Amino acid sequence: METLVQSVVSGVLTGSLYAMIAVGLTIVFGVMRIINLAHGEMVMLGMFGAYWSHTLLGLDPFLSIVIWAPVMFGAGMLIHRFLLREVIPKGELNTLLYTAGLSLLIANLALFLWTGDYRTLSLSYAVMPARPFGIAIPIPLAIAFFMAIAISTGLYLLLTRSDVGRAIRATAQNPESAALMGVNVQRIDMITFGLGTALAAAGGVLLVPSLYLFPTVGEILIVKCFVIVVLGGLGSVPGAIAGGVLLGLVESLGAVYVSVAYKDTIGFVLFLLVLLFRPAGLFGVGRS
Amino acid sequence: MTRLPAAVGVVILLAAPLLTNNSFFQHLMIMVLFWTLLGASWNLIGGFGGQVSFGHATFLGIGAYVTMVFYLSLGLSPWLGMLAGGIIGALFALPIGLICFRLRGPYFSLATLAVAEIVRLVALNWEQLTAGPMGLLITTLPPISFGSMTVNWESKLPFYYLAVALAFFAMGLTYVVSRSRLGAYLMAVREDIDCAEAAGIDTVRTRVVALVMSAFVVGLAGGFYSLYFRYVDPDAVFAISLSVEMVFIAVVGGLATTLGPIVGAVVLVTISEIFRERFQAGHLIFYGLFMMVVIRYMPEGIWGRLRLLLGRNG
Repeated sequence: METLVQSVVSGVLTGSLYAMIAVGLTIVFGVMRIINLAHGEMVMLGMFGAYWSHTLLGLDPFLSIVIWAPVMFGAGMLIHRFLLREVIPKGELNTLLYTAGLSLLIANLALFLWTGDYRTLSLSYAVMPARPFGIAIPIPLAIAFFMAIAISTGLYLLLTRSDVGRAIRATAQNPESAALMGVNVQRIDMITFGLGTALAAAGGVLLVPSLYLFPTVGEILIVKCFVIVVLGGLGSVPGAIAGGVLLGLVESLGAVYVSVAYKDTIGFVLFLLVLLFRPAGLFGVGRS
Repeated sequence: MTRLPAAVGVVILLAAPLLTNNSFFQHLMIMVLFWTLLGASWNLIGGFGGQVSFGHATFLGIGAYVTMVFYLSLGLSPWLGMLAGGIIGALFALPIGLICFRLRGPYFSLATLAVAEIVRLVALNWEQLTAGPMGLLITTLPPISFGSMTVNWESKLPFYYLAVALAFFAMGLTYVVSRSRLGAYLMAVREDIDCAEAAGIDTVRTRVVALVMSAFVVGLAGGFYSLYFRYVDPDAVFAISLSVEMVFIAVVGGLATTLGPIVGAVVLVTISEIFRERFQAGHLIFYGLFMMVVIRYMPEGIWGRLRLLLGRNG
């Protein structure tokens, strides 16, 4: 029983971070209909950003989010404006290949600059886990969890209560009609891409105390993100959150009750099954 | 006019290794041909059929492991092992195709990625068969002689000619397919799958046949890999990055062209291998860069653009 509770707790904590990263991928898909294969590299950049600001400036990684999220928001807008905007009209497969190129370019530039060594960021308060009710909870993961909830709530409020948010949702529903209603679709695309990038980077910043970091870590994370957004339904924000927590649970329960070696396989099998039989996602809210 | 340059090309290819003893240069040429082979076989399904597979490393890995395992545990000659690798790779392509081709466009690509990851994880953990992350090692290859000439496996020359033969086979296959009914079906599927279906083409069968052919050649390439490097482990032959590199070589060279893959491989492999010699990491920077430039400014690829400039359609 204690094992069960323990693995549910750690599954939910990790899953919430996956969810936040996947939400970034899914809003970009929802608005622009593109699958951004470079999304994992944005997470990686967030991780390295937090790592370097900790190592060089002694800044706490969780505080550094106030630097890296806005910086990556700007970077995402620039990437959309100068790199992606001309390519998106060439079709979804061309865009997929283009973002694959971008992903390889960023990952290899990072390899070139920082080598492929595995790094870890050690925090003084991360040594001993907290033990409420006899369950071990790593403190950095708990902080990350609450910050992820705060950020997701902020995003929810932005999407539902603000003019920009309404414009984003309108564009996701129907770009032509949104344009007719006076929404500047190009601008909304750019903001959405910036938002997606910022969410990915923020996810990276929150993950860095709990994960090894290396330049090709994005490859692993992007595959997890696909699993999540397909589980939750492509383009659906609540779906991505539910999918993220679900994947976190599947991984941690799978590791305990099936096998550590095959825990990632379960996620992929689930992914294929959903893709084949419920392309709109488990909750039937995405677009197939 | 097209025969002469082709003949010159063949002569240069056959004579090239005799001109140099530099083992880096010989290795580079072998790698260019190896990637030509992979790019050309990916092109069969990805270029002509427009089905962007991100999972072709599966077939490479299967070919490599089949050759290795058959040789190490059954004593089967690696030559037959290579062929067996191709055949078993092709057999695996059948169920994979039948599952993944129910999906279209980017969804197909994501499904192939998932399948490839599943296969990689199984290879990593099925230790009785694959020795897991330890990998498998061949120390000596069995001697083979043609008449009085014994093949010297310690030299790179036999591998070079084997790579030439395989690359020609793959490009020849691409050429034949591009002229055949299957090629026409594939291009119809690529341009508009619903129209193709309405015109009476069995689109699933067309794509599965092309995938099986493609997997067969990639399986052969896997066998070649295990003989040339004499070492395989799951992260070396089942890696996502291998699948991605195949895609890049085919796209940068020119989708759905016979000579595109060789152009793509010459450009990308040469740059990345030289980069790898000089710097310790990041040799795929130019893969990414070329991909972005090609998609944005010349989606028909380098060879596709050259072909237009030369006003030829061969």
